Amino acid sequence: MLIGIKDIAKLFAISVVTCCAAFVCTLFLNYNIDIVGIKDEITTPQGMVMYDAQVATGKVVAGIAGGCLVATTIVLLIFYVKNYIDSHGKELGILKALGYSDLSVAKHFWVFGVSVFAGAVIGYAAAALYMPTFYDIQNNMELFPQMKPEFHVSLVLYIIAFPTVFFMLLAVLYAFFKIKSPVLGLLRETQNVKFKVSKSDKGDFPFLTDLKKSTLKSRKILVFFVGFSAFCFSAMTQMSMSMDELASEAMSFMIISIGLILAFMTLFMSLTSVVKSNTKTIAMMKVFGYSQRECSGSILGGYRPISYVGFVIGTAYQYLLLRIMVDVVFADFENMPEFHFNFEALAISAVTFLAAYEMILYCYSKKISGQSVKSIMLE
Amino acid sequence: MTILSTKDLKKVYGSGESEVRALDGVNLTVEKGEFIAIVGTSGSGKSTLLHMLGGLDRPTSGSVTVDGKEIFTLKDEELTIFRRRKIGFIFQSYNLVPVLNVYENILLPVQLDGGTPDRAYIEDIIDTLGLTSKLNNLSNNLSGGQQQRVAIARALASKPAIILADEPTGNLDSKTSQDVLSLLKVTGQKFSQTIVMITHNEAIAQLADRIIRIEDGRIA
Repeated sequence: MLIGIKDIAKLFAISVVTCCAAFVCTLFLNYNIDIVGIKDEITTPQGMVMYDAQVATGKVVAGIAGGCLVATTIVLLIFYVKNYIDSHGKELGILKALGYSDLSVAKHFWVFGVSVFAGAVIGYAAAALYMPTFYDIQNNMELFPQMKPEFHVSLVLYIIAFPTVFFMLLAVLYAFFKIKSPVLGLLRETQNVKFKVSKSDKGDFPFLTDLKKSTLKSRKILVFFVGFSAFCFSAMTQMSMSMDELASEAMSFMIISIGLILAFMTLFMSLTSVVKSNTKTIAMMKVFGYSQRECSGSILGGYRPISYVGFVIGTAYQYLLLRIMVDVVFADFENMPEFHFNFEALAISAVTFLAAYEMILYCYSKKISGQSVKSIMLE
Repeated sequence: MTILSTKDLKKVYGSGESEVRALDGVNLTVEKGEFIAIVGTSGSGKSTLLHMLGGLDRPTSGSVTVDGKEIFTLKDEELTIFRRRKIGFIFQSYNLVPVLNVYENILLPVQLDGGTPDRAYIEDIIDTLGLTSKLNNLSNNLSGGQQQRVAIARALASKPAIILADEPTGNLDSKTSQDVLSLLKVTGQKFSQTIVMITHNEAIAQLADRIIRIEDGRIA
């Protein structure tokens, strides 16, 4: 086997994201399917209004949560596959030199999809276990005739089988295009070194400024990942807090819990990748006599503005999404609470983000400064 | 019988002022069963030549013929299959697959074609190279010399037309280098293999049947 168990274990984050997506989607879609089944039993006009509202809420929550989490999973999966190919370029190059075709190497990457399968199964099972409680809460509101959760095969297909196949294919296809580069590029591990010097780069910058720019330019995917994780953090935390007034207590608690888990996890992962990718450069700078502060500032500091941009975009995105949900999807419903931009949520999210970001980087900086250059270079 | 030949082989990198002629009209002929050493200093073009002989890189002009087939007339996919069947590689950094054990590494090129391994032949190689007690070890648990012996066994396993060795002793100490090279020569003779090795080490090159010197992309 080309890809070891250890490599797959690193995909834990993907399993967690998929688990959350499967949990939310199973819960709401199952309820929606069941509620459609009792539509004929609803006789009052008020009941029909509530029915329409409930079906729309289920679709929107499943759509937004599922859509966001699928997008996050795609980014994570591509990031992992790319990282794997970058760090195992030589081995993949050997296989190609020995006569393996691109496809025969790439097809081993299907195992990356196992993490999606594991997450989806756990999420589905957790939703199935929680479903009786969820239905009881809904039944206690006495909006509709009493319901019991029914099993739907179609949900197993849509929530477990199809996503697993999709992500397996995605991993294989992405790997196929990544390893299509010449054998020598893989063997020399230079397939990703595409460094163009533009006119603006020819300016006479101080070394540390130049290094900061070069670090960011040479790791564009990582830059994107950092921005994306800040975007996720901002959108998930603020959306969770803003939905407080729009959703029931149980639903709000669930959304906030999932939002916080995912927000902290994506941020932690992206910053871990930032530090791991740059540890050797920092170690070399220390050899040349730069202080820890200068090393961290010039190498890790470059990612900070990117994360701020990601955070701002995330704020705008979550507001627009909730605005659309209230103004378009629930436009015809009476008694909808007034929706305004939640400045309190923004403040809490921003402070938490800054604290978490700086804390993670500080811990890693301390860890690096405690390691010898030799041990870092031998890693 | 000629097993490998090149005709006016050229490889040019860049253009204009930054043009570098890594190979500048190399003509070379290797007979079946020969053990050739290509010697040159760093930047002389010996690695580029080896990559061309193995079809890992395409030349700017000229041709390479292996076992009667002009390899650069083949499309990429065909060249991959040709390499699988006709060319064995031994790399400086061993380049074994770390998640596979010694035996699986040796069988790797044979299994690529879905063929049944010639067990007796492979056991003979393993025995000759002294790897019998290491077959179940993961490759990265072996010493450098042992890993290179596994790489030699892997190159021999598929009975290729030629074996290309890229600085096979570059990562080894002088004693282990001599041992590994002697084994390479012995196994090459025993299994009638043609071996083309590049090295910058004159002492190592002396073990070959013929030494070809390369300077500034030309055979000296």
